[in-house]
Amino acid sequence: MSRWRYLLRRVLLSIPVIVFGLTITFVIVRMGPIDPVSAILGPEAGAAQRTRIEERLGLNQPLWEQYIDFMTDMLVPWSFDLGQSWVIQPGTDVTALLSSYAPRTLWLGFWSILIPIFVGIPLGFYAGLNSNSWGDYLASFGGIVWRAMPNFWLAIMLLAFLRLSDKFLFGFRWDTFIVEIDSLVGQPPLDFIAVTDWVSLGIISIPVGIYFSATTFLASFKQILPAAIVLGSSLMGNELRISRTAVLETINSNYVETAKAKGLRSRVIVWKHVFRNALIPLVPVITNEAFVLIGGSVIVEVIFGINGLGYLFYQGAIQGDFPLVSSLMFIFILVIVSINILQDFLYTILDPRVGYQ
Amino acid sequence: MSMEDPIETTNDDASTATTSDSSSEPIVTVRNLQTAFFTEKEVIRAVDGVSFEIEVGETVGIVGESGSGKSVTARSIMGLVDDPGRILEGSSIRYHHPETVENYAEEYPDHTVDLAAAREEFDPADLLEDPTLDASAAEFADAGEPVPSADDIDVADDIDVADVIDAGYGEELGLVDEDDFVFVDRSSADREDNYVDVTRTSGESLRKLRGGNIAMVFQDPLTSLNPVYTVGNQIKEALRLHQGITGKEATEEAIELLEAVGIPDAPQRVSEYPHQFSGGMRQRAVIAMALACDPELLICDEPTTALDVTIQAQILELLEDLQEERDLAIMFITHDMGVIAEISDRVNVMYAGEVIESADVETLFAEPSHPYTQGLLESIPGRQVGADRLSTIEGDVPTPNEPATYCRFAPRCPKAFEACDRVHPESVPVDDGAEDHRVSCLLYPESESEADRIALHDRLGDPESDPEGAGDATEGGESR
Repeated sequence: MSRWRYLLRRVLLSIPVIVFGLTITFVIVRMGPIDPVSAILGPEAGAAQRTRIEERLGLNQPLWEQYIDFMTDMLVPWSFDLGQSWVIQPGTDVTALLSSYAPRTLWLGFWSILIPIFVGIPLGFYAGLNSNSWGDYLASFGGIVWRAMPNFWLAIMLLAFLRLSDKFLFGFRWDTFIVEIDSLVGQPPLDFIAVTDWVSLGIISIPVGIYFSATTFLASFKQILPAAIVLGSSLMGNELRISRTAVLETINSNYVETAKAKGLRSRVIVWKHVFRNALIPLVPVITNEAFVLIGGSVIVEVIFGINGLGYLFYQGAIQGDFPLVSSLMFIFILVIVSINILQDFLYTILDPRVGYQ
Repeated sequence: MSMEDPIETTNDDASTATTSDSSSEPIVTVRNLQTAFFTEKEVIRAVDGVSFEIEVGETVGIVGESGSGKSVTARSIMGLVDDPGRILEGSSIRYHHPETVENYAEEYPDHTVDLAAAREEFDPADLLEDPTLDASAAEFADAGEPVPSADDIDVADDIDVADVIDAGYGEELGLVDEDDFVFVDRSSADREDNYVDVTRTSGESLRKLRGGNIAMVFQDPLTSLNPVYTVGNQIKEALRLHQGITGKEATEEAIELLEAVGIPDAPQRVSEYPHQFSGGMRQRAVIAMALACDPELLICDEPTTALDVTIQAQILELLEDLQEERDLAIMFITHDMGVIAEISDRVNVMYAGEVIESADVETLFAEPSHPYTQGLLESIPGRQVGADRLSTIEGDVPTPNEPATYCRFAPRCPKAFEACDRVHPESVPVDDGAEDHRVSCLLYPESESEADRIALHDRLGDPESDPEGAGDATEGGESR
């Protein structure tokens, strides 16, 4: 059970990290150059109006009081309150904003992590196992090119290509392929799954009726696919390069030679001895990429017209929407800390040399 | 581990040296092994015409500096030579274990050459007259005793189908198919005439030999176990593969193996990971893993180099015990002359891809003949009492990247003379009647005059015939 105790310890140890991260967020946001009052009032407001707004937002209180309020609102579970937006959609609860913006980003992030994993890693493994063959050269070169293409450029090129797919691909039309989509850009429909019926068992409710529409799912997937490919492109190149190196390193290691000397089949050698060892250096690469997706999706979201968290955060930050920005930061910190814990947990499963201290 | 012991015993206890006199029971015969690496820049002949044999229950040591081709020899025997390396045509590594040969002949009848049947079908004398054959008849002669002169031998009478195959002309003359690897002679009970040729096996047939019959212990115990699986898991893997043992039975067998190699608390240790073992323990575990396959030949590639001296001694002792218990043949590779003196019965000294001296261990230490061997022995610390400076062999081992038409050691040799640069020394007995002590040096055989010696080596090398070294092949065939 020491693995579970280790996990618990890691969770407890992450609390100070979260507190520290929130403090830094507060300091940067509140002491930064952005003035929410001017953002709300516009340039021609008088001093009296300013004071009134400041009073209403609580900005006239001493900074330390604001800090305490901020921290308790965020951290204490029974007063958990992310506040209300000031500027972007004044008066709307941040939680409400999140619930409408976050699913789109999650949908995008999910596919842009998944696609690279299932394309980049197998390609990298193939390249490593067949090093210095033409297949390897092609995959490695492709990986470098793929990695080197900037997001915004690739996004525009891909959109242009898909828009004119019937010219490039002899009449193949992407927009009517399998399911028809109205536009290449725009928000993906996420209503393909819904819970229609709940059964209540005391305090727990169990969903019993689930609605699922394959057509809407496909349309949604089709809508997100170009954006996910663009966002995942550099990650895929990365994963390809690193898995290739990891496989090469493992393949030339002594224990693989020992396994060969034992007379094992090469299939067993690859799947048992090479695969697991080569995954170890890939874990931090994959989890690190999950961080990148949080902040890195702004450009892609703007180009593909997906109103997601990245877009929301960007708007909030330039317009001085303090509660919105700091709540989003809080969420990002939580995500990053949990991914970190997940990463360490994966390490303990993959590599017995990693201890539980 | 003093070096003195084996030398002392030479004089007192000659009987230990007589093991090789009993009827020879080779487990592996290496003949004219040539393994080359084809890089873009050059062809590196890492192993260049090596011939030796290992008998049942015997330990054969292979010594030499780094880069002399020891490890490549071992890997060739295991069939573990990777790209861009290749075992060249004309090499053969013959595995003689009778049961295995029998099993192989049964399992792969399409890949078996029956020499008795071939003998009836082909007349060697006719074969020699085959117009497609461009080799001289003399090459086939099983040249035999000390100074062969091809002209004296009535070639056609002496030649057997087996000799033609030995010389590497089997395929050319239609005796052997490209994918044949089992050679049986039903008319002969001699182990030497029945063998599986490792260099010709591939895929499944090679994999079964590997581990199942020939096992290997590598140099670095710290990295030769997979860090993410338990020691038991890795031993059980071998048990399942070669002996079909699985489950609880396999765990018990693994525990027994760990106990056999002297690991205390084996029942607990079996489920621990390699990083929880110390260096010596890991090497024991690696040895246990090698033994799991119940091999007849164990190749140890510098198994003690990465260990400290006390552990070294323990591992050597362990190997000796295991050898006695299981009648193992051991091929022991090291650059440590002290270890060689301790463990081996017979020693082959390698230099730049060639075996330059071969003798039993007592003889080698008492009368090292090749200047290189002499140099190696002199450079052991503490061997020359009172010497101010430890003597060394100046220079480095050259990269053997061209066919040897000269003595590769000549540039570093204190006794080199003019002929060393143009005549390639062949393996000859040190002296008349010293068949077991062979050396590749123009200074030998000692009884001949210099001119005769050069002429002899020249003739044995036979440089104008096949440059791939068919001459070496017949010469290799003659050693016992």
